[in-house]
Amino acid sequence: MWGGAAVSAEDRLQRGEGKAIAGRTFAMLRPYRRQALVAAVVITISTLTVLAGPLLLRYGIDHGIGEQDRGALSAAVAAYIVVAVIAAFASHLQIRLVARVGEGFLRDLRVRVFDHLQSLSMAFFDREKAGVLVSRMTADIDAMGELIQFGLLMFVMNGLLVVLTAALLLKLSPLLAVMCLVALPLVVVASVRFQRQSNRAYLTVRDRVGHNLSTMQEGISGVRVIQAFGREGEQTDRFRRSSRDLYDAHMDSVRISVWYFPVVEFAGAATTATVVGVGGWMVHQGTISLGTVAAFVLLLANLFEPVQQLSQLFNTVQAAAASLKKLYTLLDTETELPERPRAVDLPASGAIEVRGVSFGYSGSDLPVLADVELTIAAGERIAFVGPTGAGKSTLAKLVARLYDPTAGSISFAGVDLRDATNQSLRERIVVVPQEGFLFDGTLMENVRIARSDASDAEVEQALRDAGVWERFAALPDGLATEVRERGSRLSAGERQLVSLARAALVDPAVLVLDEATSSLDPGTEALVEKALDHLVEGRTVIVIAHRLTTAARADRVAVVADGRLAELGTHAELLELGGRYAALYESWIGSTP
Amino acid sequence: MFRNGRRSASKVALALGRKRVTETATKAGWGLLRGAIRSQWKGLAAGVSVGLLWSAGKVAGPLLVQQAIDKGIVEQSSSLMLWVVLLLLAGLIAAVFTGARRWFAFREARWVETSMRDQLFAHLQGLHFAFHDETQTGQLMSRASSDLQQVQAFVVMIPMTLSNLATVVAVAVILFRLDPVLALMALGPLPFVNLLARRFSTKLFPEVMTIQAESAELASVVEETVSGIRVVKGFGAEVVQSSRLRAEADDVYAASIRAAAVRAWYLPLIDVLPLIGLIAVLGYGGQQVLNGELTVGELVAFNSFVTLLIWPLRNIGQLVALGQRAAASCQRVHEVLSTDPLVKDPVVPVRLPARRPGHPVGELRFDDVRFSYGRLEAVLDGFTLRVEAGESVALVGATGSGKTTIARLIPRFYDVEGGAIHLDGVDVRQSPLHDLRRAVGIVFEDTFLFNDTIAANIAFADPDAPQSAIEDAARLAGAHDFVVTLPDGYETVLGERGYSLSGGQRQRIAIARALVADPRVLILDDATSAVDPTKEHEIRDALATVMGGRTTIVIAHRPATIALADRVVLIQDGRVAAEGTHDALLAESEAYRQVLAAGERTRWAVVAGAGPGPAADDDAAGAQPVETSAAEEVR
Repeated sequence: MWGGAAVSAEDRLQRGEGKAIAGRTFAMLRPYRRQALVAAVVITISTLTVLAGPLLLRYGIDHGIGEQDRGALSAAVAAYIVVAVIAAFASHLQIRLVARVGEGFLRDLRVRVFDHLQSLSMAFFDREKAGVLVSRMTADIDAMGELIQFGLLMFVMNGLLVVLTAALLLKLSPLLAVMCLVALPLVVVASVRFQRQSNRAYLTVRDRVGHNLSTMQEGISGVRVIQAFGREGEQTDRFRRSSRDLYDAHMDSVRISVWYFPVVEFAGAATTATVVGVGGWMVHQGTISLGTVAAFVLLLANLFEPVQQLSQLFNTVQAAAASLKKLYTLLDTETELPERPRAVDLPASGAIEVRGVSFGYSGSDLPVLADVELTIAAGERIAFVGPTGAGKSTLAKLVARLYDPTAGSISFAGVDLRDATNQSLRERIVVVPQEGFLFDGTLMENVRIARSDASDAEVEQALRDAGVWERFAALPDGLATEVRERGSRLSAGERQLVSLARAALVDPAVLVLDEATSSLDPGTEALVEKALDHLVEGRTVIVIAHRLTTAARADRVAVVADGRLAELGTHAELLELGGRYAALYESWIGSTP
Repeated sequence: MFRNGRRSASKVALALGRKRVTETATKAGWGLLRGAIRSQWKGLAAGVSVGLLWSAGKVAGPLLVQQAIDKGIVEQSSSLMLWVVLLLLAGLIAAVFTGARRWFAFREARWVETSMRDQLFAHLQGLHFAFHDETQTGQLMSRASSDLQQVQAFVVMIPMTLSNLATVVAVAVILFRLDPVLALMALGPLPFVNLLARRFSTKLFPEVMTIQAESAELASVVEETVSGIRVVKGFGAEVVQSSRLRAEADDVYAASIRAAAVRAWYLPLIDVLPLIGLIAVLGYGGQQVLNGELTVGELVAFNSFVTLLIWPLRNIGQLVALGQRAAASCQRVHEVLSTDPLVKDPVVPVRLPARRPGHPVGELRFDDVRFSYGRLEAVLDGFTLRVEAGESVALVGATGSGKTTIARLIPRFYDVEGGAIHLDGVDVRQSPLHDLRRAVGIVFEDTFLFNDTIAANIAFADPDAPQSAIEDAARLAGAHDFVVTLPDGYETVLGERGYSLSGGQRQRIAIARALVADPRVLILDDATSAVDPTKEHEIRDALATVMGGRTTIVIAHRPATIALADRVVLIQDGRVAAEGTHDALLAESEAYRQVLAAGERTRWAVVAGAGPGPAADDDAAGAQPVETSAAEEVR
């Protein structure tokens, strides 16, 4: 089958874009320029060896046989052997060189895109879908890989071969060459048509494959519901219909190749017949030699097959260019939270001051927070409470500089967070998210992610500090336990414990806790509570509270409602105030007679 | 450091994969493949026939060139035009039949693939729950996609390869008749092309698999970094992740370079072997021409023939490898197809008694039921319970006590291992499966909705249901009010590319779906668990309406939901431990209080909004033990 690649209309490059992409790619290839240059030379040599065969046959026929010169014949044979050896070496070398340059380029691209991705702000990750970002690093780079492994070399060689063969034919006999090339435009037109049609057909196939597979996926993941309602027959019919659509799309794409390949094949045969007819006549006239006719017949293969292959490769090349464009666009996205040129390290401890802070997510006109004023003393424990979406989480994220405020400023120990180094920011202020996210690897590695230079002893100490050492040391593999895919082996509570141990390892001045809303198993629940008690000791703590009991235990409570700081004070003060907090508390107590 | 464990795991997987490929001799795989080919034999035979015609046209080409040179140009004994016309004719034949060969080959191959996929899907639809519990969706998907792709790739090669084989034989015969020695020299190296092509494909295959495995590992680093970006950024772990990615990128690079090395050794050799034949033709053939033993035309023909054979020979080498892979794939497909459904229609079915006005239906009887999911420890043992027609019963118990299992046994998602379950006096195993499942409506814990319109989702059990029936069900389930506010109302498409509903809304659609067929028994399996506590009351109102006068089994943790039922049954260790009304059990049973408290401990008062509204509505029924413990915390 022809190359399995295609580009949709919206992905196709605009005029001029191709040039920019090529330029940038050449710039990225700079570290490999010597190897790339050698590769280009080797590819040219290798292409020339393809042309040498028919020429040597011509020499052998004309000079060896025609002139009855056995020496000339032997010379042709000897030259042929040399050419064969060169061809083999050149081919070997070019495969290796192209792989080294191409795969090296891909590796650089992967690392560069990934590093860039990680440097982008949280706001970017909120905007973009995770699946799309992952596909940049997988599908898009794989499209490039496909081209490098299979297509690039063939594309270059075939292009070169067509040009060189045409030039050679013209030189051997301009008249006969022109007769041959008459059919070539026909083939080119047919090939362009085929390339367009097959691109379209392939897109349809791809859509229907997607539909077919998602129908199947739905049928399998929903099989319990399907059986529960006795709809197996209907679902099978539905799947059959989607299969049938896919089959039809496949057959449409076959139909396209069914006319194209014969056209090219017949054009080749017709040209051969022309060469034999016209060439034979010219031999009779004495204008060309018999060897030239023979060489022509053999060289024709180098003319038609490459055109055919080029038309098939064209889609692969286009798809790769479209992928490159997406990757470069990603690389051009600038981070919204850059470190300032003369950034300073944050002091070891101090108060947090929120001054006139407003915030709105980009792409949305609604302000999430407006004009918030708040001072959190060093070592204070403060709870943020308020309805979902009122802005309490956002406020906490601003304090950790996961975003920058749109107006106003936030400072720690007198240093504006925007003037702080990223490194010191992460060391002073740590956010413990609601759910403990685990990476593939061991428990030890998962804790150490918070500080990559921590020794085993330090990790152990962090676990002890969080009060969970016994729990994990008791596992069969201890800290070497592989947590596997997304920590399927650990319960939600245990994952939360890992998360707390990470925070203990960093030993920050400020801890931002996002209290879990979902339930934990009762056993670990108590352990998490204990670990938290350990951890908050001697630190400034900001809790995004979902339980009133947590709020009640904090030094102060900040009620965030409608993007404003509605109430602020101790639990007792706020109850006395008789405002929102008091009402909430009343209603909660009231529901528990 | 992060990589070691996983790397070795993937190597093991790879080794297993390789082993599986060598075990292809397994009869089942070949049997299935043979069956598929046999079913398409007419089309394939047509493909082979036109392939032979293509072959004839292809072989005629060089022969005609030879005649044209010898007779038309050198000897001038016959008209050159004649040979030119014949050459055109041969070209036409080859061209037409190359298209036809392609057509037949793909038609049959795609059809084999399509029909096997349909067969697989239909079979999966009929397989019991236990099978689906044990099998990952991804595995089944790869059977349906990549495995069947392999089968397709093999079948398509059959007509191609057979006609290529014919070409090889024909050319060999012709050349040996022209000049046996020269034929031997010209064709001698060609079998090695075949040999090398085969060796090449077996050497390259594992390397390609390694690249795939390494790429998958790289993808998983990217995937977890993107989904865990909050943690990465929160702890400044960018450097750690970056070095992990670098390591994976290096692995992919190394694997790709290894694969390139295999290519770099084999491809040049495969390319250069035919040249040996060509050189022999020029050297020895040229001498023979000088000796007058061979004509120039024959020399050129020899040359063309050797070139002609290169592709067919490489291609024949591929067929063997493709066949082995296809058989291995077929074996994996066969594993699924040969699994028999465990839950089957009865041989002698007994129909459920017909509904008559004034006679309530849906009486359920569990007699000494035992069930263990095929494990040693029974989940249910000696479970006996009677539910009157029209009665609503709440099943309450700790996690793993067997509540959900009871619900799943009624519509025969699994069959009891001991005892029996009767619905309206009929053993559920005696009723036709389809009737039974229509008689039992179930709302699952995780609501699965289809990528389709809301109307189609509600009418799932009965696609012919009129719009009025759909709306009635939605009203009963408390879904109608929010559905009509959606932009497209009942025609709103749900799912990945469609509209996404909240947990509570999905739940209500699922309840409407269970109601649309007016089932005798309604099962609500933890139907409120996924719902935001502040929205719970909305569903509860719907449930109260739905349960009125219909046999209902409710599995719930939340007291307010439990209190909706006429009767509460406490399940412990797979049997009934206590039963009575919610209030009575609360007063009498310590075990009941404990189970409720354990469920409730994990719930907190949520600061849901200013004002006493929704929070007050929560837990209206009140469960004392919980609140005391919560109150203690406050103090």
